[in-house]
Amino acid sequence: MDRRERFKKITNFEEADRVPVDLGSHVASIHRISYVNLKNHLNDPELKNEDVILDRMVQNVIPDEALLNRLNVDFRWIAPNWIDVVDVTDEIYMDMWKIEWQFMIDAYSVYSSPLSEAKTIADIENHPWPDPTDPKLWEGLAERAKWLYENTDYVLVADSIKGGILTKAFQIRGYEMMFADLANNLDFANALMDKILEMYKLFWEEFLKHVGPYVDMVYFTDDIGGQSSMMISPTTFRTMLQPRMAELIDHIKSKADVKFMYHTDGTVTPVIEDIIDMGADILNPIQTSAIGMETSVLKELYHGRLCFHGAIDVQQMLPFATPEEVRYDVTRRLYDLGRGGGYILAPCHNIGSDVPPENTEAMFKAAHEMGAYPLDLAQYLKKEHLEKPTEEQFAAQAEAPKLARAPRKGRS
Amino acid sequence: MSREDDILDSLYDLTIDGERDKVVALTNESLELGMDPLVVLFDALIPALEEVGRQFEAGTFFVPEMLVAAKAMQGAMDVLRPLLAKTDAKPLGTFVMGTVKGDIHDIGKNLCNIMLEGAGFNVIDLGVNVQEQTFLDAIREHKPDALGLSAFLTTTMPMFIPLIAAIEEAGLRDGLLIYVGGAPVTQEYCDKVGADGYSPNASALVRHLKEKMGIKASG
Repeated sequence: MDRRERFKKITNFEEADRVPVDLGSHVASIHRISYVNLKNHLNDPELKNEDVILDRMVQNVIPDEALLNRLNVDFRWIAPNWIDVVDVTDEIYMDMWKIEWQFMIDAYSVYSSPLSEAKTIADIENHPWPDPTDPKLWEGLAERAKWLYENTDYVLVADSIKGGILTKAFQIRGYEMMFADLANNLDFANALMDKILEMYKLFWEEFLKHVGPYVDMVYFTDDIGGQSSMMISPTTFRTMLQPRMAELIDHIKSKADVKFMYHTDGTVTPVIEDIIDMGADILNPIQTSAIGMETSVLKELYHGRLCFHGAIDVQQMLPFATPEEVRYDVTRRLYDLGRGGGYILAPCHNIGSDVPPENTEAMFKAAHEMGAYPLDLAQYLKKEHLEKPTEEQFAAQAEAPKLARAPRKGRS
Repeated sequence: MSREDDILDSLYDLTIDGERDKVVALTNESLELGMDPLVVLFDALIPALEEVGRQFEAGTFFVPEMLVAAKAMQGAMDVLRPLLAKTDAKPLGTFVMGTVKGDIHDIGKNLCNIMLEGAGFNVIDLGVNVQEQTFLDAIREHKPDALGLSAFLTTTMPMFIPLIAAIEEAGLRDGLLIYVGGAPVTQEYCDKVGADGYSPNASALVRHLKEKMGIKASG
């Protein structure tokens, strides 16, 4: 089956010939160290690209075509060019948003935020925002997308306008300041998020001018989930993010006929309905190591309304599991999420430098061996992973009931 | 209700609401009225942060709400600290905290610091990307009851292992409670690296630590 046809069926909640498999976005490719390990493990001299960095921040590579073919990956990713990067020191660079990033161990983290001292809304306006119409950003993308569209059957994705509305606000304002703004400096927080929304609308409009006719999907990365709860309250999401996301998604879909894939790490169970309402077609990456992101429950609740992309955990599973355990986990996610379509298998994040190459190989091998429709996988799974979710599990997905404030109690 | 009770009630509510400026002003006002700084601390501010912790663990409060409440508490503490130093009130204990080498994430650590300080601990924050020797020196200097090690990445949490080994080798492990935390850290990983405790968030850390040290909640 043609890969684009497979994608179309799956995202329309129909079974195809097999579950599609993905690797290579700017947040879910392979770290350069892991890539070299994998190359050595596979003992394939044809694999190149260990020096071709896709995203400088996370130090992942653009996987070589030979590797993507070998792993039988259905997607190809188109990312804007990195421009206006300034090397501040050997270890620190500044990106086009004027955010500084510091190298540590094997990747970069936010080092300084340009609006951390901002006091007024005028300070936001006065920030030297990047220019989305700069042709250097988009150079060569239309040609590449057109060529892939005409000469291959890969599912093409517009990717890597990095950071979502909240994530970019955190990076530009500084995490601690922005968290505080979201609680009690709402005018500033709203103004900053409005500005970022305006920027993203322009960025996506330009991007889609170049690649819109050729891409099947747009990938937008934000982060609203933490390890055990959301980073912001469901109310903050609904009042401050969701309306802006809806506006952005409308804008994008008015420019190109695409599916919209929304990325957020962590646990986001209380707002999945809101994510559907804002116009997301696909949710990524289903971080199964976060509390509440139970694949069997998510499928029961949202199948037919929301597709899932990811679910192969890179935090607790891939770095520490044996290849047999990886195979089991892949089988389990295919069983939970793949039935009736609606699932694309992929790692939840970059395959990090701590993931053994045996596990990366085992993941893709299992994805193809076990992912053919009809999915007849129950025989491979333990009893506890075959059971229907319990009432308790469903209840745990809901927003916590508001706790009344206890009156003050003194010592005496 | 007395004027004093009014002020304490307002301080309690405003701290929970994260209204730092108002909390600072009201703390100053309370002192001008001759109120005991210990009463302000133990009857309004500490109970407020305990309530914030309770709301966080119940899933009603999230990081923004917790952070501004903690900042309001800090504002009040800046006013009270010089006065508290003159009383015979002792901190509940001393806590040394740091993000491990190779990791510059600090928000979880900072929240822990403020919640610990808000509960009455003396907190020594060593910052981010803390070298092994800095941890050892700080343990020697401050003789803390507990040490907190933070790591946000799966690639930096293995730093716990050589660090704890170095603390043992230096003969500083006895009587020291070692806590580990950060997004990828689990109870299982805590056990594996030989730490004494793990906490998924700042308010649970305070609760665990108090339990371990045999300290009752003030409410």
